Amino acid sequence: MMDKALEVLERRLSRQLAASLETCVRCGICADSCHYYLADPRPEHVPAYRAELLRRIYRRHHDPVGRLFPGLVRARELDDELAEELIKSAYGTCTMCRRCVLNCPMGVDNGLIVRTARGMLAALGRVPKGLQDTVDVHLESGNNMAVSEEDFVETLEWLEEQLQDEVDDPEARIPVNQAGARVLYTLNPREAKYYPLTILAAAKVFYAAGESWTLSTRAWDVTNYALFNGDDEAAREIAGWLAQEAAELGVEEVVMAECGHGFRAFRWEGENWLGRSYAAPVRGFVELVAEYIRTGRIKLDPAQNPEPVTYHDPCNQARNGGILEEPRYILKHAVADFREMHPHGRENFCCGGGGGMMAMGEFAEGRLAAGRVKAEQIRATGAKVVATSCHNCLDQITELSKHYDLGIKVLNLCEVVAEAIILPGDRQ
Amino acid sequence: MEALRLGVILAAGVCLVGLWLRLRHFLSLPLARDLSRARGSARRGARYALTLGMMPWAKESTRKHALSYIRGVVFHLGIFAALVALVAALSGARPVGGSLLLAEVLVGAGLVAGIIGLLERLARPDLRALSTADDYVAVLVMDLVLLAALAWLRDPAAVGWFYALAIAMLVYIPLGKIRHCIFFFPARIFFGRHFGHRGVLPPAVGGGEAR
Repeated sequence: MMDKALEVLERRLSRQLAASLETCVRCGICADSCHYYLADPRPEHVPAYRAELLRRIYRRHHDPVGRLFPGLVRARELDDELAEELIKSAYGTCTMCRRCVLNCPMGVDNGLIVRTARGMLAALGRVPKGLQDTVDVHLESGNNMAVSEEDFVETLEWLEEQLQDEVDDPEARIPVNQAGARVLYTLNPREAKYYPLTILAAAKVFYAAGESWTLSTRAWDVTNYALFNGDDEAAREIAGWLAQEAAELGVEEVVMAECGHGFRAFRWEGENWLGRSYAAPVRGFVELVAEYIRTGRIKLDPAQNPEPVTYHDPCNQARNGGILEEPRYILKHAVADFREMHPHGRENFCCGGGGGMMAMGEFAEGRLAAGRVKAEQIRATGAKVVATSCHNCLDQITELSKHYDLGIKVLNLCEVVAEAIILPGDRQ
Repeated sequence: MEALRLGVILAAGVCLVGLWLRLRHFLSLPLARDLSRARGSARRGARYALTLGMMPWAKESTRKHALSYIRGVVFHLGIFAALVALVAALSGARPVGGSLLLAEVLVGAGLVAGIIGLLERLARPDLRALSTADDYVAVLVMDLVLLAALAWLRDPAAVGWFYALAIAMLVYIPLGKIRHCIFFFPARIFFGRHFGHRGVLPPAVGGGEAR
């Protein structure tokens, strides 16, 4: 019955994974790098403990000592009881933020271990329902919220009118399916469904920069929740759609909307899932906007954002994606009073909304409790606005604001930029 | 005594063969190649991971727990010194003067650090929950070897104990967690290459740092 899970372990057992499984000395120094442990210092919240659950199975199958003397190294077979513990641990108390990885003196990649455990559980059909549904809907409809093409196009047409009003230019466009455009821009379905103004904000930035860009109605969803459910087959299929669309449109680059996990999934993992390189390079919207500012393609007026602003680094863009300087560069040009959280950048704490947590209602209580670390970081800055670059972070921090009474506004970075932008006609 | 001496040499052979078998299994596994376009340098990341990235100030965890980290470093220095002492004992040499004093200090400090480590593991509930029997056995074996090495450094008559415990240690190395001595290096290199490739490490001067 557990064979499928063990097959996943065998298939994914690379030297990288084996090194992480072999090297941990259980020193426990990783404990307080985890927001779950800081919020509730239980042994099960120590990152090494989570990894240890998979390690027990690995030892049973790959360590002669584990086979002969399982008691000495706590080797054990995967059974129902251990699978249940893995579900609670790998899905319920880990956001795969990999802060513990950066803090491990040995270089153990607990994130890789947890994702492997998730992949094994996915093979058993034991992914928490909300998360699995998100992946299934994506596979069935082409985007994770089942937005129909008709609705999508209607929304874009309405937004185009809004853009024309806002920039006072009847020629302003939100281009769709334009072969040969320089940039293929992707969206989070939440934008199309609930937050269309973030699409408008991005469109305004592209307009001001005079960019040659397009959206696609065939493959436009930036998200890929298979990064989180651990199912590589699904992840490969989803990443493949976008890669194919970019190739067919012949764009020079794919620019990912502000979505932390979507960026990590497509920018860093997608080519490995597909086993081949993309035709066009991939960048985050934040990287592109920083370039626009640096090269003078857009001008910003920081006085338009007078309130104190802090920035929350999405783990999947910063620690797992290297986007560290660009958001700060942008905010220093876009707001009057920028305040750093401590720690920040690669050492930033996860807000608690990563790892697919926002889709798993059964773990919401723990998610909000673990978010206390982030809430305290935000409160300490005295900022009134938290800018971020990820929809899951945005949702989680908005919930944290209510739960911990922070009294803050949470915005995606593109909204902050759009507010400060000086349109070409106004530059005189 | 000669039998114990030969026993140590034989145990060293067993240790090397055991480690080789571990390594052979490891090398039989596929190396996952990263096809994504680099933002930074994997090579620079690996170099950082094995050098400055090991410094106690390089990570929040080791900044916060500097004493624990230093304890671990002292423990390992003591182990290296004890191994050098073992080679000396086997070859009939014996440190004198300054070398003897240095060896005694390193091994003695390593022993104290090892005992503290063992007590810490027994005392802290989170560490107890994490630990396997191997975690206690491995540290205990190393502590006993350090004790025997110190005894031999102070009195050559203790060489029999030193050899006997060294045999136990050498046989145990490939079986338990002490084998991290070979896996540590690939783990650090993979870590450094991964984050170096993504432009996350090494940290840029003044860039996005926590401190």
